[in-house]
Amino acid sequence: MDLEELKERAGPRAFSPKDDLPEEYRKAATRMIQFHANSEVMGGYLDKQFTRQAPSLDRKLACTAKVQDEIGHAQLLYRAAETLGVKTREEMLEELERGEGKFLNCFHYPVDSWYEAPMIDFFVDGGAMRRQATLKATSWEPYAHAMDKVCFEEGFHVKHGEDILRELMGSSRANRERVQETFDEWWPRIVQFFGPPNKDSKHNDFAQQVGLKTTSNDELRQAFLNAYIPKAEKYGLELPDTPRIEYDEHSGRYELEYDDLDWEEFWTIAKNDYERSAEQIGSRRRRHEAVAWVRESMDAWETSQETPQAAD
Amino acid sequence: MIWEVFRQAKPGKYHTHCGNVHAPDREMAKLFAQIQHGRRMQTNSLWVVPQEEVSEVDSDEATFGGSTDKAYRWAMTYNRVDASFAAEVEQSEDEQREAAKAREEL
Repeated sequence: MDLEELKERAGPRAFSPKDDLPEEYRKAATRMIQFHANSEVMGGYLDKQFTRQAPSLDRKLACTAKVQDEIGHAQLLYRAAETLGVKTREEMLEELERGEGKFLNCFHYPVDSWYEAPMIDFFVDGGAMRRQATLKATSWEPYAHAMDKVCFEEGFHVKHGEDILRELMGSSRANRERVQETFDEWWPRIVQFFGPPNKDSKHNDFAQQVGLKTTSNDELRQAFLNAYIPKAEKYGLELPDTPRIEYDEHSGRYELEYDDLDWEEFWTIAKNDYERSAEQIGSRRRRHEAVAWVRESMDAWETSQETPQAAD
Repeated sequence: MIWEVFRQAKPGKYHTHCGNVHAPDREMAKLFAQIQHGRRMQTNSLWVVPQEEVSEVDSDEATFGGSTDKAYRWAMTYNRVDASFAAEVEQSEDEQREAAKAREEL
């Protein structure tokens, strides 16, 4: 199939591994899904920090379960990317280790306090889920299929994240102030989560023409702001002065001053050139190496068994 | 000869064990299973299996998981926050609730 025919036929779950697809499509889909899979890995690695800091056993269990889910999502996504025939799973994981694999801006900032848990687990995850829900209608069928399972699980993450926010904002004044300070720091990054404005997006048009994306960056950001700003306010958080965001009652939209955001930092992050990116990628790589013995002993155990063993 | 019988209520559902029948051969076992286990309960399909073909591992020999309360894993647990502000969160919770119901029905 050539690109023109593909664009005509593009629609939700239109293409699967049995279709003969042009290289442009397969490369664009690989780039998008690999980015998504890398983000699940790096988000999971970031998130595991919260298990240590969680103030109760229930929270620790939920945080651990969430990390387990995220790493599982990465597996599903690498599988969906691999079926495009451009890169193998091993190649994609190696690129991530070498610092060449790209991933979401919010996961380039190391976290070190429990006050950051609702930033990641409620706002960032909420944004991710909004985006993922639209990807159930992506044109690459294995990607859409992975989204069914991912979205099934994400509801727990977002509600758990909101529950942490509710708990912290209903506790001492010192806690509420710390959450507000953390929110001031994270909010601009969260607004940038959906990427640059449509006019500056490199890949948006092509991805929409071939049905990989069904919704633009700006539309997603608008939907996110409409749902999540009222939530932040409900718990007593105040939006920082910048970026300026005005609610327009006439259109029912939040108007964002894009120029108030630090796009230079955003693009540095997008190239993995931000100084803390190297920290995140490196610490994840060292941890991956540190538990190599677990993978090796599991492989050795599996090959020594006569009958296949089901995983728990 | 004893044959263990498994009944499936609807297409796509699991076959679950529902009892056994005495029969001299496979054809008779299928017939008896129909009469004894497929008449009163809603049935889409039956399996009959020679009893000696069923292998067992029990809690004397193995440590099974599944006894841990994993309520922390489900969106429904966090009922002090409301999912209705975002359609995708609400839908995920609905799917999880459906799945929990289906597990209980097994």
